[in-house]
Amino acid sequence: MSLLPKSGIWERLVWSWRPQSDREAGEAVVANFLLHWFPNRVTLKSLSLKYSLYLGTISMVLFGILTVSGVILMFLYVPSVEQAYWWIKDLDYAVSFGWYLRRVHRICAHLMVAAVFLHMFRVFLTGSYKKGSSVGSNRPFNWVLGIVLLVLTLFLSFTGYLLPWDQLAFWAITVGTNIAASVPLFGEEIREFLLGGTLVGQNTLIRFYVLHVVFLPLALFAVAIWHMWRIRKDGGLAIVEQVREKNRERAPEPPAKTKTWSVLGIASGTSVSVLDVGTVDELDSVPSSPFLTTRLLAVTMVTLIVVMLLALVVPAPLEEAANPEVTPNPAKAPWYFLGLQELVSYSALIGGVVLPAIVLLGLALIPYLDREQNRIGYWLTDQSGRRWGVLGLVWGLLWTVACLAIGILFPMRSVFPDIESQLFFDLVNPATLLLLSFVVLYFLVLKLSSSTRTAAIATFCAFIIAFVLLTWTGTMLRGPNWLFYWPWQPWPEHAIPF
Amino acid sequence: MSEATPQKGESRRGFLTKLTGWLIGLGLVAGSWPFVRALVPNVLYEPPRRFKIGPPDLFQEGVHFLDEHRLFVFRHENAFHAISGVCTHLGCTLKFSPFKQPQELTVRKMSYRSEGEFHCACHGSRFRDEGTNFSGPAPGPLQWYQLELSPEDGQLVVNMTSVVDRDFRLVV
Repeated sequence: MSLLPKSGIWERLVWSWRPQSDREAGEAVVANFLLHWFPNRVTLKSLSLKYSLYLGTISMVLFGILTVSGVILMFLYVPSVEQAYWWIKDLDYAVSFGWYLRRVHRICAHLMVAAVFLHMFRVFLTGSYKKGSSVGSNRPFNWVLGIVLLVLTLFLSFTGYLLPWDQLAFWAITVGTNIAASVPLFGEEIREFLLGGTLVGQNTLIRFYVLHVVFLPLALFAVAIWHMWRIRKDGGLAIVEQVREKNRERAPEPPAKTKTWSVLGIASGTSVSVLDVGTVDELDSVPSSPFLTTRLLAVTMVTLIVVMLLALVVPAPLEEAANPEVTPNPAKAPWYFLGLQELVSYSALIGGVVLPAIVLLGLALIPYLDREQNRIGYWLTDQSGRRWGVLGLVWGLLWTVACLAIGILFPMRSVFPDIESQLFFDLVNPATLLLLSFVVLYFLVLKLSSSTRTAAIATFCAFIIAFVLLTWTGTMLRGPNWLFYWPWQPWPEHAIPF
Repeated sequence: MSEATPQKGESRRGFLTKLTGWLIGLGLVAGSWPFVRALVPNVLYEPPRRFKIGPPDLFQEGVHFLDEHRLFVFRHENAFHAISGVCTHLGCTLKFSPFKQPQELTVRKMSYRSEGEFHCACHGSRFRDEGTNFSGPAPGPLQWYQLELSPEDGQLVVNMTSVVDRDFRLVV
């Protein structure tokens, strides 16, 4: 290998040597990281839009935009109780395109939460958390990493929520950190550690700021890299299991003549008969470059364009400066926590701690509870899965509506006016009922269908509809004093007389 | 030499490996302890929990909300008492909603003349004006704080570090 002087600046910067032969060029390809980001060939099924919907890619692109816009915003913001609000005001009215930066950052944050949730729904519904038959595959663990990423995304969004230091921010964080305080035994300590004191103040602002701009983004980036690396180690997107299934039917490759380099020279011999289901057929696959790379570029472009257009039409609200003395009415958390806030309005312990913990634990355990390996990568698995999925949706719809109706029409304290025990109301309330209905559904479907996959599908579908309904109720149907209002009912303009 | 010797050697190696692991683990925990401990504040620059709120004559008959302290001060003739204005559910500030006519109520075996109710904007909890939660998710009653008279200038002093019973009254 000869080291010739490199011609251009680009070569000087990125090439350590210039390949002089085909063999050296081959080694250069082998050593190139970027060329190994994706596999050499990718199956047509993996590329299909209707399987993956490219939601993971979209989430990551949004994270990229958030990082870039966030770093610019860091130059234009001081996390101080006295100044923070006025820096945001300046962003909106004094800084060139400051309003646009804020809007881009905010809309991306909301879209990313939505995209990550949808990504999880997609992976679950297509059964893509299953191990499959690839050697070294550990998709169940990658699903757990995905849950960690979901939690990190929610924390990132939540910590960013406080930074404008307006009424919305202040009270969302007051409510959110008080939910943490309802953890039994050491809840108050957790709250004080989060706040850095007993009140939402300067200590809280700087804590949330550092978490938001350094700690959580780095953690999310690291886990996201791990998440994507695992996809390669798991043998690609789960839908390739269908290709492997098909390959199992083809004839083993017959023994062929081989040449091997041994110490003594070239030795000829015969290979063994091979049935390699992992090798993708030329007909089933295309080279990653350009077929995958151009698609990823297209998804990136579309995401960017949608974000930029949305930022032009969706304003980033800024309420009055934070005022600990006046609680806005109604006081609401960010939209993705409003389902939780609805449950918290029944019981802080069940709605704020027990139920989210069980949901997160349940989500993380899905691939370990359901180890069935058939029909990976098909939406809702099969006919029976679709049927139980619809049943889950209906079940979830009915129980959620029932729980909401109980919560609105028959508040527990009015039904049992003589009981003073808090434990009683923590146990007997609509949130507990909803949780129980999920447990019953899981075991009912498990017994009737004797399939963990269909039981999981039914429960997950019920979870999706409950999440959507509760979020919608918290967002649209709750007015001043957290009273119930139909969408067509106007909220009272002044304080309600009692 | 018996067969036990290599096994003994292996267990020594295993022991040393484990010991190294534990020492590294302990070292990491001990080494990162200062970093975590530094994040638990020793001094808080928060508003004092015991403060003067003015002379008794400042407060007329009825209910007064002291917004900077999130506190309700009640005066009935010459008797004063103070109730927390922070919802026991998730810490939102309560609003006092007066009745048109005072009502005679019996709450938790105590009869009194009720002027109104407390309402919470966040999750719709409601409290009697003697502090008992009766509707919504609030897990407990509002706290009553001790009231004192300052010996220096006769001002009312609220002591939020001292929680008192429902029958507490400061008679001036």
